[in-house]
Amino acid sequence: MTRPASDASAGGSPAAAVGAPRVLVVVADTGVLHSIRQWTPELEARLEFVPDLPHAARQLSPGGWDAVVVALGDRPEDDLAWWVDAVRGVPGTPRLIALVDRPSMGLAIRAEQLGVPDLLPLPIRRDDLAQALKRARTVESEAPMPLPEVGAVPEGQYALVGRSAEMLEVYKLIARVAPSTATVLIQGESGTGKEVVARAIHEQGPKAGGPFVAVNCAAIPENLLESELFGHEKGAFTGAVTRKPGRFELARAGTLFLDEIADMSLALQSKILRAVQEREIERVGGTETLPVEVRLIAATNRDLKEAIAQNRLREDLYYRLAVVTIRLPRLADRGDDLLLLTAYFARQFAERYKKQILTISDHAVELLRGHPWVGNVRELRNVVERAVIVATGPTIRAEHLPDEVRAAEAELPEAGARGLLTLAEVEARHIARVLAHTNGQIGAAAEILGIHRNTLTRKMKEYGL
Amino acid sequence: MRNPLPPLRVEQALRLLPELEVLLPLRSLILAASRPEEQAQWASHGPYLTVGKRSVEPAELRQRAVEAAEQVKEHVGALYAAYVEALECQQRGEAGAAVNALREAGVREEQAGRGVQARAWYETALALAEGLQDRRPEIDVLLALGALEETLGGHGEAARRHQRALALAEAEFHQAGAIAACLGLGDVALATGQWTGAGAWFARGMRLAEAGGDLAATGQLHHRLAALARRGGELAPAGEHLRRARECLEPLGEARAMARVLNTQGQVDAGLGREAAAVAAYREALAWARRGERDAGLEAVIRLNLAELHFAAGRLLEGEEEARRAEQVAIAHGLTRRLVQSYLLMGRMRGRQRDDTGFVFFEQAIQLCQTLERSPALEAQVYQEYGLFCTALGGRDEARAYLERAREIFEALGETFEVEKVREELQQVSA
Repeated sequence: MTRPASDASAGGSPAAAVGAPRVLVVVADTGVLHSIRQWTPELEARLEFVPDLPHAARQLSPGGWDAVVVALGDRPEDDLAWWVDAVRGVPGTPRLIALVDRPSMGLAIRAEQLGVPDLLPLPIRRDDLAQALKRARTVESEAPMPLPEVGAVPEGQYALVGRSAEMLEVYKLIARVAPSTATVLIQGESGTGKEVVARAIHEQGPKAGGPFVAVNCAAIPENLLESELFGHEKGAFTGAVTRKPGRFELARAGTLFLDEIADMSLALQSKILRAVQEREIERVGGTETLPVEVRLIAATNRDLKEAIAQNRLREDLYYRLAVVTIRLPRLADRGDDLLLLTAYFARQFAERYKKQILTISDHAVELLRGHPWVGNVRELRNVVERAVIVATGPTIRAEHLPDEVRAAEAELPEAGARGLLTLAEVEARHIARVLAHTNGQIGAAAEILGIHRNTLTRKMKEYGL
Repeated sequence: MRNPLPPLRVEQALRLLPELEVLLPLRSLILAASRPEEQAQWASHGPYLTVGKRSVEPAELRQRAVEAAEQVKEHVGALYAAYVEALECQQRGEAGAAVNALREAGVREEQAGRGVQARAWYETALALAEGLQDRRPEIDVLLALGALEETLGGHGEAARRHQRALALAEAEFHQAGAIAACLGLGDVALATGQWTGAGAWFARGMRLAEAGGDLAATGQLHHRLAALARRGGELAPAGEHLRRARECLEPLGEARAMARVLNTQGQVDAGLGREAAAVAAYREALAWARRGERDAGLEAVIRLNLAELHFAAGRLLEGEEEARRAEQVAIAHGLTRRLVQSYLLMGRMRGRQRDDTGFVFFEQAIQLCQTLERSPALEAQVYQEYGLFCTALGGRDEARAYLERAREIFEALGETFEVEKVREELQQVSA
């Protein structure tokens, strides 16, 4: 990589000239600055120093940096978020190493949420900084692997990709239910592909010639949802500037997909129930009765039985919708589909961004496998899109993955013994991760960790969380 | 101890709040205290999330309502104190100080986002200042009033105030006042599309600033001239003015002014198709905006420009992220105008992608204009953009209805430049 010329003050040992990571140190405190300058020969890195944010922004913008060491200010949480954002926009996405005076539990949790594993307390210790910098240079040890062949899948955003046993079950159910006009309920976590399945059912069903109309019930303001679904007459309410057909009408002779069905008010649920039962609707402010000639597919990411128990969903509507139920698996339960989907998205985005992506490094695969994927396929799609955007060659490497995926890097085994973490470090990181997951709720975190609340509190104190 | 109540959506929370002026801070607080639902990030409705769909915790609101009430008390207390101070000054025969105390109260109101109330303070201060032999307090109040009127969209009134300030400042040899008045008059001309007039005012201000060796004002005027050149499509001269603005402002460490200059630099670079340079300029602008006292409004504007750049370059993911950051900043700092602008951008982008669910952003923007910002000019802009969105999706009747509404409001406000633009858009829809 060509390194741009720099006007920042630079330092580095002769041994750390070529191939050593290039690190920008953004520190105004002269004491900290002095320490880091002193350690430069032993850190095996090419360090450049700037005093403040504007200078740092100017230095970082051409890219070519492996890491950025920043001292957080008086509002460390705010500063950290700002730096994560700033570094994310830098070509090559350098690793962020944050220095902070007395890190609080809140800050440790925020760092985990933002995917910043290197939060080092001030006064800084040389070994801590050396370890963090070491983690920033894993690139050379990554081996490229060819992306797997996905096989023939329909073009576009709505392809079903996957060969796992769990997905084969889903395909079988789609094949069984599609030829009928039965109402289908699709359940699955966010990002598992409920709309993709709904489209597949529509396209393989008897109403394939008609339109597929999707309504995201959770996105539309409550006061507008009724008119969106059933339409309205001109002047029916303030803002009804023209007569407007509803989605039931627009989906005539096709499929109406009601996404996030559990997010509707009870009043609207009863209107939907009437439409499903009596197969007719009326526009808001209208008197004319219109026939409902659609196939209905509903989807939700919520536990509908629980919603019924909490009186948030009408039981009779549930039974009307759940004539056939398809449950979609989580990405974490789909085994090698992860790699297949990665390959599929990598090719899709490579085409969009006019790049040639042929391989992925073993280290990147390892990180992808280690990520919890709470956002399932949708999250993976975003991660791969970002990786394709920032990749400069034909290989997707760990450095191209976002911080939240790279956060697991610290826990992966490394080649040299010097890079390995102590048991206490692993424990501290894991506790911080779980606390981030529970938004700092100690009780919930203790439950996940399988330890008593008091033990967790003691450990948090011990590790300075 | 009772279990905490479950969170509820902002749209539900606002439904229970009567439309009373005294409750406006609470309305803003509900927005500021709201959070996106944990599930929402990856849910299918995630990309369409607006502030109405965020949730608020009743327990947190209870706690923060007490703090907010304290802030209101503090604000009102400061206004009362300013009034008493003015009264005492007048009784001591220090009318100039009395004017300043009243003007300060106006500044406080403005900082709290209460423009109409600020105007009342300034007008009272002006009435007092007009009777003084020393005209400087009057000039200061006129400049404050002019800037406020411009912010509130009253271009004619703003021009009138600045004109009077200029006449007085020149008569009094008040250099800084004259420069500020020229800047204000140039800004009004710029906002109303009178490019030549704007150029003349900025040039006049520049002559005064250069003669007086006022580096900060010279930098600001170069920035304004750059903005003017950019509007006129003259990007090379704009770049040159920006270079000179930076030369003046950087040594002074004027963080906000530098952030503004770099923001315009980003726009100029974007206009020249120099994407990487534009991104770098916006990033540096953000860094300057962060130095010193935080200016959340400026940060939101820079982020929106950056988002627009990403969208224009087809980097939808990055554009979306940046627009969401602008939204976040606007929500956290109660910047309704910026929040509306972020929804306009998101809606516009959905329109370009032919995504009809994008209408939710315009609906949310309208609601914000009607309940929080209460700015007819902004509301008209929302209707105009909503109309263009409907046009992109083939809804000609709806498009026409929204554009007509925008035209009506702009006409009522006397915004001839905007009215003309909407008329052209209406013709295109009808063609």
